Amino acid sequence: MKKGYVLAGIVLAASNGPIAAEPSTQVAWTPETLAFVRNGDAEKGKKIAESCEACHAATPENAESEFPYLQGQTATYLYKQLHDYKSGSRSNEIMVGISAGLSDQDMADVSAWYSRQPPPPAKKADEIPDTIGKLVDRGDGARIVAPCAVCHGRAGESQVLDTPVLAAQKAAYLEQTMLAYKSEARHNDIYRRMRLIVQQLSDEEIKQLARYYAGLER
Amino acid sequence: MHIHPLEKRWIYLVLAVVGIFLAAIFYTALARNIHPPSHIEPIDSASLHLSAEFAEDKLGVWTQPDGTIRVTLVAARYGFYPREIRLPAGTPVTFRIASADVLHGVHIPMTNMGTMVVPGYVSEITTTFPKPGEYPMLCNEYCGLGHDHMWSKVTVVAKESWPEASAAQPIGR
Repeated sequence: MKKGYVLAGIVLAASNGPIAAEPSTQVAWTPETLAFVRNGDAEKGKKIAESCEACHAATPENAESEFPYLQGQTATYLYKQLHDYKSGSRSNEIMVGISAGLSDQDMADVSAWYSRQPPPPAKKADEIPDTIGKLVDRGDGARIVAPCAVCHGRAGESQVLDTPVLAAQKAAYLEQTMLAYKSEARHNDIYRRMRLIVQQLSDEEIKQLARYYAGLER
Repeated sequence: MHIHPLEKRWIYLVLAVVGIFLAAIFYTALARNIHPPSHIEPIDSASLHLSAEFAEDKLGVWTQPDGTIRVTLVAARYGFYPREIRLPAGTPVTFRIASADVLHGVHIPMTNMGTMVVPGYVSEITTTFPKPGEYPMLCNEYCGLGHDHMWSKVTVVAKESWPEASAAQPIGR
């Protein structure tokens, strides 16, 4: 009986054409959610993190892989991404499957653990064009692009709420992430904030910005 | 202490004027229930994107059945969403604006469109743009490091060319 309802719902939704678009994320930073993430149990998170380390460890063997570093990332950002994978707001073959097995409490715990780990070493990049420094510090008024620094911090250390730490992240991951925002493949930024910015940038600017932030020491 | 009689008269006069002003404010606020235009309709700023009115696909310019225009707008660090809107001149436009984070202001220079956007409340303001043109929409309350980059584009088109323009415009973003 229940299955029938679900099926009917799917058929109805499909036959009604475009229905209201899903919100970009189900996470809302209410004081309760913030407190929930802040009170994540890092010790319990350590246990969960053991299985994450296979791909996300900050070891030299992992430096060339496509998987991002999580060490020293803000707990709010990590929690939101896990939540978004589980709710379908962000897609990734591997992470959607993994997050499905995590409860909200598990997510808060593992986020707490990773946020307290020492950050990975930066990979110094040589010859960053001056225009990139300008974009980071002063933005570009003509394109309505705010400086990266106002949200992500001058040193890529993150500024407000759930904007991620960028410093010392893998350049390849940063570039791939910005390109995903640009093509709308990634769309879990509230009110399209990051997509609107990145869509104003050229692929070359994206590449250089990724190198710039990967080279910042934490 | 000696106070000159003329000075005394001026003091009384000034006190009387201050008294009249205060009485007027308290009378309108308490007896007539007149308050500033915002601060009346509460909304949860943290979950704005999950609300019915300010959901991401509900933002933008909407023509009401009576021909007036409604603009649903979100102010968030650091921008107004949607980023660019087109509006007709000479038509009443009602803006409904909410903040997703901190205190913002909205101001379109050379028009009388301006209001504060207080987190937790919906700001509503109705105005008519007399002249077509391109206007910036600026934040005029300091909201953080990116405050001076917080602006959007408003294109006001002549009333005659509005229906075509509105049809060509992707609504919602």
